[in-house]
Amino acid sequence: MGSRLAKITELAKVIRSKNAGPFEITFDIMFDDAGIYEKVKNSGVITSKLIAGLYNISHNEVLVCRPYDPAQAFKITIRRPTGSGDLMESDVYGCQQHVPLTSIEIPWQE
Amino acid sequence: MDEIVGLAPSGSLGSGYNVDAFNRALTANPDFIGQDAGSTDMGPTHLGDGVLFFPESSYRHDLSLMLNAAREREIPLLVGSCITAGTRGQLDLAVTMVKELAKESGHSFKMAVIDAELDKEYLKNRLADGAFQSLGPEGELTPADIDRSSHIVAQMGVEPFVRALEAGADVVIAGRACDDVIFAALPVMKGFDKGLSLHMGKILECAGLSASPIDLQEPLIGRIRDDHFVVEPGNGDLRCTTVSVASHSLYERTDPCIQPGPGGVNDLSVSVFEQFDERSVKVSGSRFVPDSVYKVKLEGAEIIGYRAIVMSGIRDSIMISQIDDILEEARERVRQRFNTADEGDYHLDFHVYGKNAVMRSLEPETDHVPLEIGLLIDVVAKTQDMANAVAMHARGTLGHTSYPGIITTAGNLAFPFSPFNVPVGPACRFSLYHLMAIDDPCECFPMEMITVG
Repeated sequence: MGSRLAKITELAKVIRSKNAGPFEITFDIMFDDAGIYEKVKNSGVITSKLIAGLYNISHNEVLVCRPYDPAQAFKITIRRPTGSGDLMESDVYGCQQHVPLTSIEIPWQE
Repeated sequence: MDEIVGLAPSGSLGSGYNVDAFNRALTANPDFIGQDAGSTDMGPTHLGDGVLFFPESSYRHDLSLMLNAAREREIPLLVGSCITAGTRGQLDLAVTMVKELAKESGHSFKMAVIDAELDKEYLKNRLADGAFQSLGPEGELTPADIDRSSHIVAQMGVEPFVRALEAGADVVIAGRACDDVIFAALPVMKGFDKGLSLHMGKILECAGLSASPIDLQEPLIGRIRDDHFVVEPGNGDLRCTTVSVASHSLYERTDPCIQPGPGGVNDLSVSVFEQFDERSVKVSGSRFVPDSVYKVKLEGAEIIGYRAIVMSGIRDSIMISQIDDILEEARERVRQRFNTADEGDYHLDFHVYGKNAVMRSLEPETDHVPLEIGLLIDVVAKTQDMANAVAMHARGTLGHTSYPGIITTAGNLAFPFSPFNVPVGPACRFSLYHLMAIDDPCECFPMEMITVG
C-alpha cells in the first residue's frame, strides 16, 4: 500500500468561511464520507498551529479548532483582522477567506 | 399536542421567495409562520445609519404574502429583527407596513410590537453596575462609547415572544431578536424541549440554506415532537440531507457544540442527525443548558465619517510591476495636499483587486503579478465634502503620476463610468458587541399590543 499526500480539496465536500458575528470569521471543512472524515481527523494534521501558519496570525487568534462528529466536519474560528465593515474591511460577509485551507494536505494510505 | 409545525418562508425577509413552494409548504398545515428579518451580517451601516438592506417594496412584497397566509389560516405570524438591524425606526416602519397591508386586505387581528432598542441612560447605569462583557471590541467600554453610538439594540430571547403569544397576539413584530427564538417561541410555550426548539429554530431561520441544493429563497418546514424534530424543504424538488442539516447547525457559529444565546447555551455536542425519509432529516439530542445569570447580546454602531469611492482599472504592466510604490507615493501626495487636516480627519484606503484586495493581511500569495488591477480608492472622512475631495485628489494624482519606465503619458487609470467619484454617505463601525446581564428576560423589550383593523 503506497502512502501519499492527499489534497484536502479531494477529500472534503465543503470548505467555507463566514462571519460568526462581526468580530470573528469561522471556517467549516465538511466531509460526506464518514471514513474519509475519520481518517482526516485521526491524521491530526488540522490544528490551531497549522491554521495560524496558513493565515499568518498568532496562535491565540485561533479561537476554535476542533472536529465535530455529528456533522463530519472541522470547525475553525479566528478573530477577524478588523470588525465587520470597519476601516480596512475587505470582505463584509467574510465568505472568501477560506482559500488558504485548500492547501492542506493529509498523509494518505489507500 | 403531539407536534408543532413551523414554516419559514425564506431565510431573509425581502429576499423574495418561491411562491409555489410556499403554497406547497402551507399544505403541511403549519401552526405558525416565522420569519427572520435581519442580521449584523451585512455590516454596521444598517444599525449605525438605520438604512434598510433591501428596498422597502421588497419587504412589503414578502410581508404581504405571509400575512395573508397566516390570517387566512388563523395561525400566528412571528417576524424578528425588523427590519435589518432591529432599531426602533426600522421596527416602526415594519409596523406601518403591516397596518397598511392589513387595511388593503381587510384583515383584523391583534399585533404585538416588541421594541429592542435600548435607552442610553439605562445602558450607562448598567455599565456602572459592571454588567457588560465584550465579545469583540477591544478596550474598556466607556459611557462616551455609548453616547457616540447611533443605535444600540439587544437580541431578545424566546421570552418576549412567548409573552406576546400568551397575551393573544396573532402577529408579532419584533425588533432585534436572536434568530432561532422566532421559531422556538411557540414550541417552548407549548412545553416542548427548549434545546430542540432552539436547534430547530437555528435550522429554520435561514430556510432553504439547509436544503440541498442550497437556496435561501426556498421555504423550510420544521416539525417538533417529544424528543426530536424533523425538517424538510417546502419545494418537492429539494431535499434535506444529514450533511445539509448538520452543516447548517455549524453555520455562522463560533463553536459547533456550545452555542450561546440569551439565557444559556444550546449544547449540540451529542446531537444526532438521521435521514428520516428521502427529503427530510430527524434531529435529536440537542440540550439547552441555562446560565446562572441571564445575559443578552448588545449590538451598537456609530457613524465614523462619510465615504467616497472611485473605481478604476489598470492594465499597463510597467505600472502594475511598481504598484505598491506608486500607491505609497500617491498617499504621500494626498498627505501633502491635506496637510492642514488633523490626524484622523480622513482615512485613505486602496483596494487593489487582482492582487490582495479580498484577503489583505490574510493573503498567503504575495508575489503574484496580475494582468490587470481593479483599483478601488476608498476614503472615509469627517465630512462628505472632504471625502469627495480626498478621493478625487488621490484619483487625479494616480491618474497622471509618472514612474520609472513609463511609456504612457495620457493617463494611468481606466474609469468604467462617469462621474468618477461616488459619494456613499455615512460609514459606520460596530461600537458595541457585548453581553449584558439582566434580571428579567423581558426587561429590555417593552411590548405594545395593538388592535389592527
